[in-house]
Amino acid sequence: MRGDSDATTGIPPAVTGESAAFWEAARHGRLVVDGCAACGADTFPPRGMCRACRSREVAPVEVTGRGVVYSYTVNHQRWLPDLEVPYAVVLVEFPDHPGVRVAGRLRGCAPDDVAIGTEVEAGFEPGPGGFAIPSFTAGRGDA
Amino acid sequence: MTGTELLEQRAVISGVGQSAIGRQVDRSGFQLTLDAILAAVADAGLTVDDIDGLAMFPGGGKANLPGYANGDLYEVQDALRVTTTWRQGQVEGMSLPFYGAAQAVATGQARHAVVWRTVKEGSAARHAGGRPAYGSIHPEAEGPLAWLLPVGMLSPVTQVAPFATRYMHEYGLTREQLAWIPVTQRAHAALNPDAVYRTPLTVDDYVAARMISWPLCLYDCDVPVDGATAVVVSAAETAADLRAPVRIEAMAGVIDGRPSWDQWEDMGRVGHATGAALWARTDLRPADVDAAQLYDGFSIEAVWWLEAMGFCGTGEAGGFVEGGKRIALDGELPLNTWGGQLSGGRLHAGFGHTAEAVRQLRGEAGDRQVPGAEVVAITNVGGIEAGAALLTRWSR
Repeated sequence: MRGDSDATTGIPPAVTGESAAFWEAARHGRLVVDGCAACGADTFPPRGMCRACRSREVAPVEVTGRGVVYSYTVNHQRWLPDLEVPYAVVLVEFPDHPGVRVAGRLRGCAPDDVAIGTEVEAGFEPGPGGFAIPSFTAGRGDA
Repeated sequence: MTGTELLEQRAVISGVGQSAIGRQVDRSGFQLTLDAILAAVADAGLTVDDIDGLAMFPGGGKANLPGYANGDLYEVQDALRVTTTWRQGQVEGMSLPFYGAAQAVATGQARHAVVWRTVKEGSAARHAGGRPAYGSIHPEAEGPLAWLLPVGMLSPVTQVAPFATRYMHEYGLTREQLAWIPVTQRAHAALNPDAVYRTPLTVDDYVAARMISWPLCLYDCDVPVDGATAVVVSAAETAADLRAPVRIEAMAGVIDGRPSWDQWEDMGRVGHATGAALWARTDLRPADVDAAQLYDGFSIEAVWWLEAMGFCGTGEAGGFVEGGKRIALDGELPLNTWGGQLSGGRLHAGFGHTAEAVRQLRGEAGDRQVPGAEVVAITNVGGIEAGAALLTRWSR
């Protein structure tokens, strides 16, 4: 697609007991966060504790629905050899999941076309070290 | 706060010292460290045998950038051959270079503590073989970086840039306004023989500069350097033994948001809780401040602190800095009078800012001296880390 950069050059995440479910779900194209059995709030990044009520009874729940760009940057600097630039990184919030904000690449538009308030769909693309990384798709029109 | 003696008022900053500072200094990080420590101890009017407390940044904290951590505490103590009654590795979270040391001398754990920060990031960047990315010295991204590096937020600038994007969106700051921070600080650096970039910079130069991570361009970023800064913190009761102590009027460090670069809730407001906590500890007001050494790893961080410290209202920093007059050496709030990290060099963690504050209050800042400076503000980082202090001139 127009403006899309390869995202496989980079530094992969260290997977922890808390983050393993996220990266495994990512492999299957699903965005999951910690969902609280006690109060229903969502926590991300996963901490094994609900940030709303501090319950330890949390389990992965899938985040669906539209996301909205809270902020972004367009990186132009080649921080690593073979890093394809420029590319946009967006911080996306989900109106249906208060408190969840996820950083990811942006696909489907030229990097400079991103704006705060742009509606995006959650997804994933191949990232460093064989991991699937969050990658949002623009194209449902600016809010 | 009349009638209450604050802990920090039982401590003074007695000495500051720096090694040679440059884009590349052909000297090991350890020797730079010793250079700065010996200079700071002499500056205090003390001898090495007087030192009984040691601390460094980042201590046990993790080095994520090549050249980030130097001057090992064990090796420094061994080289100096001193006995310590207080030591501390100053991991991130210590807020200010002198925060922990002030606590130590105020509570009798030590009388004279030296704290240092040594960077070799200038040389390291040049020798990094094209791998200057944050975290690139580790094979995997850990902690909060695990959510940032894999998606391409590979440098501090890509992590801070969304704060600038959001701030501009909320308050209408323009790049042409933001330019006045690096432009004005460059003019200050021209008067500082130790600054790394001293040639004039204009707003046109700024606008034409290459973009690093939108909206931050080359001149919004601090300059990786080689250099060491050491600060001696002494118990106030030793003042008679000291050459030129400086008072710590108040200090504070509050983290009131999610402490990671992607999760901070309100990217338009950073450091405000720290500013409020600081002013609650003093009868001084923002208008009493004669010079401000505000953390400027990136220009936008100085914007945060101008507002968080109450030097202007929230959302007003763009208008405040535009034209540069208010933040010039003869303005109402001289900003980063040594050039800051943007032109003076990334000495990091508030160490360069602290050294300059002490020199201004002693009247030892040479051609860049703010006449009659009696109150100087210092701030550090903002967001995931935050510290602020007011230093004041010593009066016996």
